[in-house]
Amino acid sequence: MKSLSFFFFFIFIISVFPFLCFSFNPESPTDRRVLVLLDDFSLKYSHSIFFNSLKSRCLNLEFKLSDDPSLSLQRYGQYLYDALILFCPSTKKFGGSLDLTAVIDFVDSGHDLILAADSTASDLIKNIATECGVDFDEDSSAMVIDHKSYAISGTEGDHSLIVSDDFIQSGAILGKTKIEAPVLFKGIAHSVNSANSLVLKVLSASPSAYSANPESKLLNPPLLTGSAISLVSVVQARNNARIMIAGSLDLFSNRLLRTAVQKAGSQDKYHKSGNEQFVTEISKWVFHERGHLKAVNLRHLRVGETDEPAMYRIKDDLKFSVEIHEWSGKNWEPYVADDVQVQFYMMSSYVLKTLSTNGKGLYLASFKVPDVYGVFQFKVDYHRLGYTSLSLSKQIPVRPFRHNEYERFITTAFPYYGASFTMMAGFFIFSILFLYNK
Amino acid sequence: MAREKSSKDNAQALFNSLRSAYAVTPVNLKIIDLYVGFAVFTALIQVVYMATVGSFPFNSFLSGVLSCVGTAVLAVCLRIQVNKENKEFKDLPPERAFADFVLCNLVLHLVIMNFLG
Repeated sequence: MKSLSFFFFFIFIISVFPFLCFSFNPESPTDRRVLVLLDDFSLKYSHSIFFNSLKSRCLNLEFKLSDDPSLSLQRYGQYLYDALILFCPSTKKFGGSLDLTAVIDFVDSGHDLILAADSTASDLIKNIATECGVDFDEDSSAMVIDHKSYAISGTEGDHSLIVSDDFIQSGAILGKTKIEAPVLFKGIAHSVNSANSLVLKVLSASPSAYSANPESKLLNPPLLTGSAISLVSVVQARNNARIMIAGSLDLFSNRLLRTAVQKAGSQDKYHKSGNEQFVTEISKWVFHERGHLKAVNLRHLRVGETDEPAMYRIKDDLKFSVEIHEWSGKNWEPYVADDVQVQFYMMSSYVLKTLSTNGKGLYLASFKVPDVYGVFQFKVDYHRLGYTSLSLSKQIPVRPFRHNEYERFITTAFPYYGASFTMMAGFFIFSILFLYNK
Repeated sequence: MAREKSSKDNAQALFNSLRSAYAVTPVNLKIIDLYVGFAVFTALIQVVYMATVGSFPFNSFLSGVLSCVGTAVLAVCLRIQVNKENKEFKDLPPERAFADFVLCNLVLHLVIMNFLG
């Protein structure tokens, strides 16, 4: 009897578990429903390792062809998906109600995007990338070629299958474990405007790479060369939407994920390329499983009290606290860092203090209100590579001393007190002398 | 040279004549003059102090200076009214002048105490 009930319980759990995975909880920011657009369904099998790794992390993938007439991202004003993967580089026009504006609106509303292009990239895909801040090479027949840093394979090709290990230094984006093996790449180049602070080059080409047509002779010097060529970039928008743009669809393919890598000219041979670790870690970052911060409970109070006052007086002592949590993929963990700062701001910062943490996500600072009155703001601005940006502010007025809050006898005024009292004494003595002199 | 000598001589002669004229004034008027001098001196000290330290409790500064200047003015008025050589106040008894002086000083010092802060 006991084993039978246990058996039924087990079956129940097995059948319910997928639904538990699929439930979307607004308190957990990891994306759940992902729409994957493909050029043809053979990509489902040629990139199965990547898709299976996404599915194993509780992501609900829906595969559709890019010209499917029933495509739509939203219905009745609500978005049907949390993220979009565009593995359809040669699509000139999306089916259904999807177009460039719809994709950009999807990203603008805070949702994530993974875009992969390759040498067959259409103008639509390149325009989506340009809207996100990344410029692909305008020459549609150009590919990234590197005659020094290419992968040695069985056939001596045109050096367009290149090897790169120039990663961005960020534990949030690429994970804490260092990617030992270099990454194989075959596709087109893009460049990133260095004035744009929201776009980051995650994988850059080596200094000997350039973007040109591998089949024809090079007539003019190529426009994109060296480390200015970005192979994979990410954009973290101000509303914390995360976009990944890669110039190669093969970067995600099973073939490159499983191949051994040997860079031309070097003796190191890696039996597995770094592609799998690279795409897995980046997809974790893009889908908000890592590097997602939230700040709650911004509180301030006067020293010695327990409630937030409605107004401070100049030269008050106050304590400021905020809690910052980081999403670990499953639950909120306390975020530990030593460079979170708070400003007491009115037109310019009067007080700037680094918050100290107790290790459990609570950040504290105490300082004295400056000798200026007005309407101030507590501002916490935290922008770090790979983490969501925090911009918190809380307004509070500061009043000057009330009439009876000054010291009773002001030290600098003692001479004046003394003068008036001596004048009174002088008047008294004078009147005696005046009256009684003979 | 003659001109220099004469200007120095003139100054000396002026000073001597002033001193001899002043020596004749009655004692009570000299007491009043001394009192006025004391009040003005105290006011000057306060102004110099404010110029160095700054005018932070400005109301206290005004109150202190006003007390000195006010008593100086009232003492000058008393001197005018008490002076026997003054034709204008021939019929005013000096007691009446002194009583006015005391009353005005009382009011002045009341105001000063209030404004001193």
